[in-house]
Amino acid sequence: MTNIENQIFSSYQRNPDLYDEIYDKNGKIKGVYQKLFNLYGEHSINDYVSLNNKAKSSFFNQGITFQVYGDKNVQEKIFPFDLFPRIIDPVDWDIIERGSIQRSKALNLFLWDIYHDKKILRDNIVPIDLITSSANYLDQMNGINPPGGIYNHISGTDVIKHKDGKYYVLEDNIRCPSGVSYVICNRTALKKALFGVFNHYQTHTVTNYAENLLELLESVKPKGVDIPNVVVITPGMYNSAFYEHSYLAKTMGVELVEGRDLFVENDFVYMKTIKGPEKVDVIYRRIDDQFIDPLEFNPDSVLGVPGLFAAYKKGNVTLANAPGTGVADDKAVYTYMPKIIKYYLNEEPILNNVHTYHCSRPDELKYVLEHIHELVIKPVDEAGGYGISIGNRLTKSEIEKVKAEVKASPRKYVAQPIMSLSVHPTYIDDSESFEQRHVDLRTFTVLGKDKEFVLKGGLTRVALKKGNLIVNSSQGGGSKDTWVLKK
Amino acid sequence: MLARVANNLFWMGRYIERSEHVARYLNVNYFSSLDAPNIKSQDRQFVLRSMLFMVGDPEKDDKKFLKEEDVLYKIGLDPNYSSSIINNIKFARENANSARDLISTELYEAINKFYHFVINYPKEVFVKNGLHEFTTHVAEMTDILRGKIRGTLLHDATYAIISMGINIERATQITRMINAKFNDAMLSQGGENERFRKSFEWTTLLKCAESYDMMRRFYKKTPTSITTLEFLILNPNCPRSVMNSLNQVNQHVKILNPEKRYNKDSTAFLIGRVRSEYEFKYIEEIDEDIKSFIEDILKSLVDISNKVDEEFFNY
Amino acid sequence: MPREFEITYSATNVYDEWVYDAHWQFLIIPVENETQHEVEIEFSNSQYAITENSINGYGFKTLRVHPKKKFKEISFEAKFKFLKEEIDPYNFKINLDKSSAYDTLQNLGFKITHERFLKATTYTTIKNTEEQLFRFNNSLSIFDNLVSLNNFTFNYIKFTTGATEVNTLLKDIISKQKGVCQDFAHLFCALSRSNGIPTRYVSGYLDQNNNYQGDSQMHAWVESYIPEIGWKGFDPTNNILANTNHIKVCHGKDYNDCAPLKGIIHSHGKNKTIHSVTVESQQ
Repeated sequence: MTNIENQIFSSYQRNPDLYDEIYDKNGKIKGVYQKLFNLYGEHSINDYVSLNNKAKSSFFNQGITFQVYGDKNVQEKIFPFDLFPRIIDPVDWDIIERGSIQRSKALNLFLWDIYHDKKILRDNIVPIDLITSSANYLDQMNGINPPGGIYNHISGTDVIKHKDGKYYVLEDNIRCPSGVSYVICNRTALKKALFGVFNHYQTHTVTNYAENLLELLESVKPKGVDIPNVVVITPGMYNSAFYEHSYLAKTMGVELVEGRDLFVENDFVYMKTIKGPEKVDVIYRRIDDQFIDPLEFNPDSVLGVPGLFAAYKKGNVTLANAPGTGVADDKAVYTYMPKIIKYYLNEEPILNNVHTYHCSRPDELKYVLEHIHELVIKPVDEAGGYGISIGNRLTKSEIEKVKAEVKASPRKYVAQPIMSLSVHPTYIDDSESFEQRHVDLRTFTVLGKDKEFVLKGGLTRVALKKGNLIVNSSQGGGSKDTWVLKK
Repeated sequence: MLARVANNLFWMGRYIERSEHVARYLNVNYFSSLDAPNIKSQDRQFVLRSMLFMVGDPEKDDKKFLKEEDVLYKIGLDPNYSSSIINNIKFARENANSARDLISTELYEAINKFYHFVINYPKEVFVKNGLHEFTTHVAEMTDILRGKIRGTLLHDATYAIISMGINIERATQITRMINAKFNDAMLSQGGENERFRKSFEWTTLLKCAESYDMMRRFYKKTPTSITTLEFLILNPNCPRSVMNSLNQVNQHVKILNPEKRYNKDSTAFLIGRVRSEYEFKYIEEIDEDIKSFIEDILKSLVDISNKVDEEFFNY
Repeated sequence: MPREFEITYSATNVYDEWVYDAHWQFLIIPVENETQHEVEIEFSNSQYAITENSINGYGFKTLRVHPKKKFKEISFEAKFKFLKEEIDPYNFKINLDKSSAYDTLQNLGFKITHERFLKATTYTTIKNTEEQLFRFNNSLSIFDNLVSLNNFTFNYIKFTTGATEVNTLLKDIISKQKGVCQDFAHLFCALSRSNGIPTRYVSGYLDQNNNYQGDSQMHAWVESYIPEIGWKGFDPTNNILANTNHIKVCHGKDYNDCAPLKGIIHSHGKNKTIHSVTVESQQ
């Protein structure tokens, strides 16, 4: 089958410098995509557009939206979704899965260590100032033993395929990684729109996330609790990830609470129900550390629960993820991941790390300032793709501005070579055709005492703007259903 | 169930029900006035005033000329008027949002679609020629929502709370309609005379409550004040009657509070007490003083709602 | 012979508008340690709200109050009785080899162990130039340097109530050269830490019967960790070493870790708070 017969891809242009996930170097469709390519080829672009619109309105009607705060009013938007799925074959998936688990485990051991004996610092593997100068290191966590020894119960690992065909991790997200609900919604939408294509592939299900998450949360119950009462805490319905919070609560069959629904009495946590107070044992919290308890952290927080941290410290309630995990997804800690993995697990990293320059080190800072046009500059403690500058996209004056910022607070920034994320054919509204767009993959790893689980799918995020490398939804990114094929 | 979420569900039920009654009141009054048998009832000013009276915002200035477009817009789509239909639906959805994990996807999707329909309905169309389409659609959507509530939710505490909200609101709205039509009949006939008893307004009232056909079937006579009130207040089989609503509330509160113990402070006790008062009421007693009856029943309904709030939502 | 202490802490809060929801956390209980024993606590409030005993994030004992009824005024009173051993602040061995202690300060393990009390915080951040205000003289022992620092701080800041507020930053204190005990303690912490000495902010009570400086509220001083000796208390407000008159409640990186009273109050309008502390002791 050639491109000419396949009208849906007939105008697809390939840039030879980019790593295309469905075409090989010689312009042939790769094996796993062959059937899909043919199946989609049976449709005209108009069919595709109409299916795409149906999928969009289905998202909209279901209220699977996020809020965009504009100048005047709040707008409801759907997370853009592309109906052409990404396929990951079992060999690649094996690497991603093992790599994600390896990183989660290593980060967990790292967190335990830096909140206890700090051996990795004493052995001079990781410099002490990564902790002393991190706003996310919580002194209060020192000496606390979280149930099961687990800190990062839920991790989101952002993986990319570089043009060398290898997988690299761009970021570990172990505070409140979001996006898992979209994985499931994307699958549901694709099944409704193009159910036929599923007959031709043996794809792993993604609907088992909630049951695995619940099993994990129940496994880290406080001591002395028989059947734990689990809840999800949300900042409220105006939060951009509220849909996900309610989705997770609903599918786990647990209560979705806000801070004002909980109270602490004698260091135990209760929720206010129609039948009076009911004890809460495990809280999957989707509120940042600083907001969980106004008596202990940010006193202006109205999202949290006064006294919650004392209840946690006394071991009467479990928080997932544990407070203070943010220190380990600091992008400056990221640089040390290969060493951290080696140190705690005595293993070689399965997923590659992108070389990172620390602006806090004078010699590296010098290099960064001199080579800014070929680097990505990232703030160490921002999430959601905020504050990222890509060197070769900057104007002269922008470069000077970035330089000045970096010089002013070098500890705040790291720099990495510009990675060439792989591209995937994505339907683009403006040109009414498929075009190459950069993609990444966020995997979701659940880590328990004797449990590890990676959702077989993950969220493929697409940078919808041509040539753009930032895939975050807050930066105009979309997503695709991601199929992990069975062996 | 969380007390806050229960509160949300209760009010979701109330707002859904309220939007339907307001919509139908607008629709029926507007269209039946077009060919009403007496001049007063045909008068557009009279109808617009009746609408404002019903939503609890009567125009006090007798001389003031009301612009039809303004009144319709205010009650229908004005985002700055808290009792407008658009706001009722907005509030219903907001309440559903915070209880989203407890209700079914199907119900949520229906509310959401409803919301988007209303929020996107063009103002110009509504005030010019969209009244019928809009209000009919609102009424139909609320039927769908009640269907989803009944058909897709577990019939447990969640369902009981929503149903209590719906039924308390229904009894309230029916009473408000009776009040508005009582007022209209008084104004159009100049007092509680024979003409008052046979006023055309009673037919309109029954239609507002979607009960005209069944009422005719039941009495086989032209509606009068006494038969209409009897049907809409006391008939337990009329699905819109105050009695029927109270029976429903009574049934649902038992799911929340199954205890049989004598507890005069409980919501269940209060509801039971109000319910039995109307179960054994003579319509003649009501007819003697309709005005006081309306005030009493509205007060009882507010008391019940406050009691529900105090017992189940307060924390 | 231990001394018997009795401390009364009282606070009154008055609000213009009704307060429907409030949480208070008191960090005012004398800590039990080698020199403070048998602490008895009596605590009451004018709204008869239940008092809960809990801890803060660092394990120090707290009292928490969350009234269930609305109010416009609430007052709290705490009485603490306990025994305190006489402290001789000079009771430690002197190592004639001064350099070994200085060497310890450079040790990575030492820096890691005391990381919390070596880093700069919101209230203890100073610029490089300000660090020059006081540099250690390495020919003297660490203890002697700290005594000098105590003296320096005492002379640098003029004790003035009302010149600074709870959230005044160090740079403003340095330029104003005025402040209260908390400001003395923060300046000491900053300069001591910049010389590599782990130093912690201490919150507590001061028996003022000896004409010490303070303002009949809670007092603040510092403790520095001297290798081979251990934690030593310095009171830069009074240019003395902490002694039997210093009753410790808790320590932390700075005031933030030790605030005696934290309130989460949802109310409009203005409010007023009055605190007072009396300390009495007898042999």
